[in-house]
Formats: sequence, C-alpha cells, structure tokens
Amino acid sequence: MVTGASGDSRTIKTALTLYAIAVTAFLLLPLVLAVVLAFSSGNNLQFPPPGLSVQWIGKALESRTLREGFMISAVVGVVSSLISAVAGTAAAIAINHFRFKGRAAAQALLMAPLSLPGIVVGLAILFALPLLGMSSGVLATIAGHAVIGTPYVAYMVLASLANYDLALDRAAANLGAGRFRTFRDITLPLIAPGIYAGTICAFLLSFDNVALSLFLSNGNTLPLRLMQSIQVYADPTVAAASVILILMSLAALPFLERAFRDASTGRAI
Amino acid sequence: MTQAVRRSGPVAAMRWDGWLPWLWLLPATIVLAPFFFMPLLLLFRNSLNRDDAVALMVPDFTAANYIKALTDPFYLELFSNTIGAALLVAITATVIAYPFAFFIARYARRSLSLVIWAVYMPLFVSVIVRVFGWMIMLADSGLLNNLLLRAGILATPLRLLFEVDGMLIGMIHRYLPLAILPLFNAIQKIPDELYRASSNLGATPVGVIRDVVFPLSIPGVAIGLQLVFAGALSDFVLPQILGSSRFRMLAPAIYTEATTNMSVAMAAALAVLMLVFIIITLAAVSVLLRRFAPWARSV
Repeated sequence: MVTGASGDSRTIKTALTLYAIAVTAFLLLPLVLAVVLAFSSGNNLQFPPPGLSVQWIGKALESRTLREGFMISAVVGVVSSLISAVAGTAAAIAINHFRFKGRAAAQALLMAPLSLPGIVVGLAILFALPLLGMSSGVLATIAGHAVIGTPYVAYMVLASLANYDLALDRAAANLGAGRFRTFRDITLPLIAPGIYAGTICAFLLSFDNVALSLFLSNGNTLPLRLMQSIQVYADPTVAAASVILILMSLAALPFLERAFRDASTGRAI
Repeated sequence: MTQAVRRSGPVAAMRWDGWLPWLWLLPATIVLAPFFFMPLLLLFRNSLNRDDAVALMVPDFTAANYIKALTDPFYLELFSNTIGAALLVAITATVIAYPFAFFIARYARRSLSLVIWAVYMPLFVSVIVRVFGWMIMLADSGLLNNLLLRAGILATPLRLLFEVDGMLIGMIHRYLPLAILPLFNAIQKIPDELYRASSNLGATPVGVIRDVVFPLSIPGVAIGLQLVFAGALSDFVLPQILGSSRFRMLAPAIYTEATTNMSVAMAAALAVLMLVFIIITLAAVSVLLRRFAPWARSV
C-alpha cells in the first residue's frame, strides 16, 4: 500500500517535471526564435535560417526610423518613470504611514489604472488633450505613461514598506530628527529597493507601451515603429532590434528580483 | 477631513497631521486627476454625443451609440468574437497553468528561481518581440511548418499566421504568466501538513489534488482567469499583427473607429462597453470568491 502510493506520486512527479519543462520551453520559445532569426542570412521569416550573418543587426543599427524611435521611447520612458517614481512613492507613504478618512478610497483610486485597458485610457486621454491645452506628441505620451507607471511604483513601494516599523520614525523624532531628515535618512534607504524596482518596471512598461502611444504619440515610439515595419516588411530587422530589447530586459531583471521577493513574501496589499 | 483631525487628538499640531497624508498624495493627484480621472469622465460624456460626417462630434445626450453597438450585427459580431476569444484564452491558459503552478509550488525546490525567472522573463520582453517570435514559428516557411512538412505529417504548409488560431496561440503565450503567478501564490500557501494529513487519512494523490489542493487554490484560479480574460479582451497588438482581417476584435475596432472612421463618439461608447465587460468579470470573481473561498479576503 505505502510503497504503491509513493510509487504513484513518483510517477506524477516525473510527469509533472516533463510537463513543466515543456511549458517553460513554450514560454521562452518565441524569444529564442527572435534571437536566432536576428542572425539569419535570409531575408524572410524562413526558419531554420538558410545561413548565419550579422547583416540584419547592422541594418537595425543603421535604420534611421528605428534609431529615432529608440531615442523617443528612451526619453519618454526615463521621464515618465521618474514622474511615476515620485508620485508612486509619495502615495505609498501616504497609504502606509497614515490612517485617515478616505484612505481605502484613495488606495483604490491610486491602483485603478492597473485594471483599466490601455486602449481605453489612451482614447480617454486623447479626448482630454484639447482641454489641457496639449496635443499628441512626446509630452502627452509622457503624461499617459506616467499614469500607468504610478500604481506600479506605489505597489512595489508598499510591498517594501510592509515590514517597515513606524517605531523607527518615532525613535528618529525622539532623537531630534525633523520630518524631512527622518524621511531622507530612515525611510528612503529602507524602501529604496522597492523604488528602484517600481521605477524600472515603469520604464519597461513605458518602453513597451503600444495602446496609449497609439493615441498619444505621433506614431514614432519604438514599439509603434517596429509594429509598422513588421506589418510592411516582416524581415529580420525586427529580430535584430529584438535582440537589443531582450538584452535591455535582461539587464533590468537583477534589479527587480529582490523587490519581487519582497512583494511575494510581504503582506497582501 | 475635519472629523479625522478632531478624532486624532486635541493638540493643535495634529491639525497639520490631518493634512499630511493628502500632501503625500499630492504628486499622484497631479498626475492622475488631469490625465486619468478627468479623461475617463470625458470619455463617458463623449460616448453620449453624436458622430457627424462633417462636424466630427456633435454635442448631444443620447444613448444612440450604445443602442447601435448592442443591436447592429456588425458590432454584435465584434463583441461575440472578442468575448469568445478572451474566454477561450482565459480557460486554456488556466488549464495549461494549473499543473505547472502546482509543480513549481510543490516540487521545484532547487530550480524554483530559474523557473520563476522563465515565467517573468517574457513579461519583461517587449510584446512586439514575442509576437515576432510567433510570426517566425507560424509563418508558411516558419519553424512549425518546416517540422511538420519534414516529418511528413503535412503535404502543404498549414496556414496559421494571420489566422484566428495563430492569434489565439500568441495570446495564450502572452497571458500565460498572468495565469501561472496567482495560481503559484495560492498553491504555495497550502501547508505541507495538509498533504501529509490527507494521505495519512487514506486519500489517493488524485484525491488530495481534487479535494484539498483544488478548493484551496480557487482564489488563484479566479484571479488568473480574470487577469487573462481582461488582457485578451482588450488586447490590441495580437489581433493587429497576428490576427485575421475576417475576425475583427474590439481593441483594433476602437482604434479604427476613432482614427480611420472618425467616429469618435462611437469609439468612446465601445471603450465604455469594454470597461463594463471588465467590471462585470471583476464583480463575478468577487462573488465567486465570497461563495467558494470566503477565507480569501484580501482580493
């Protein structure tokens, strides 16, 4: 009986292991294909490629539209994620440090952009631009992306605040530190990993955003340029650009790891 | 507000404290009020206007756009396509994700961080890159057709790219991590003792999964279903790049109405309806959880 049961669970475990490997392969497959195709010597989506070459990497780096798109997306990403960092961090502190009337409502409103589709938010902001005296372009795109990034930063900072002991603030005050010094010397260093991770998340989201940029930019951010070139040419230039984007994401992952651990072990938010 | 101040204490300095949280909320308000909340109100207001061939949008107060969207066969097909595809993707992704999440939560001790990394990685790579990967996979001369042709399973290439099937595969791939992560969280919380106790009491491995693990993982199932459904329902990139022109989806249709067709009021009404669909699923999930998983309060 006993050996039978453990034999059963061993079979189940082996089957699950094989299944998990298959799912992992499925998750990573398209990324691997895009990277391999970037080094194809052919000029279409033929796979396996007929031979290897770096011509498409060179073409992607030389392409004026892609370079311009990259610059615009980089500026939009950096500025909007910094705005999100300030707005999201401050809001997280308000939610975590204080018990005030309307706190639950404030938290729900703060997180609202997370659950609304980008295409809806994009169209809505497009309607509002004339009222705000703006028109579509880099500034409008920055504002739209900051809206999406703010709750992400707030979420990550709240996670790193979950184990924050408010007695630290009182201790600092007793020792004569003002509010500003307490914030700068006590709070900020402790929540820094959350702020970094949230800001990097906000940057990656902005850098990858299609649904808002569709309405708010003039079609010139990198994802929109890549989309246009996919639809027109479907050649390995996009794959070559993909390699660069994947390397960027890989570079960001180590910064995110610690905050994800905080977020998964911390209190539910 | 004044009430909160009064409650928090008699000291004059506390009055400043009453304002303090709102001061911390100020930067977020400056971002969200003009660029999120006001636009959403305006979107709703504009959905009640009238589109005009000459004057673009004419101020009005009519439900005509909604009536048209919910009766015209053209829009009805749009909704049934989109909701059907989103449901299919949500259910398929959850079914694929469940054994995987169970495995990484229960058994993947040493390789856990590697597997979690593989789940997160696609989320942080540009969606354009992921879609492009699927184009390489699904193209007529792509990997899948090459393999099937070489193996002699097919005589002519299978047409998957720019068809519904290809779009659905791409969507399942895009949203699979959103199904895996809540499931992983839910299953990971089940204590080891429960597994041992149930098998000591004579439950078979299948019985343990059916009667112990599954009921406790319902919050993960519900949240995953909702996240994937909402994502697929509002997806623009996948239908636009991988999809078929004969199978229209809601997000690209909203974009086309607002830009090419210059029917901005209609686009606004479709966007409001998209929000309504998503709010309905959120409400359904919370009802489901209260009924089947009353212990999971913080959702």
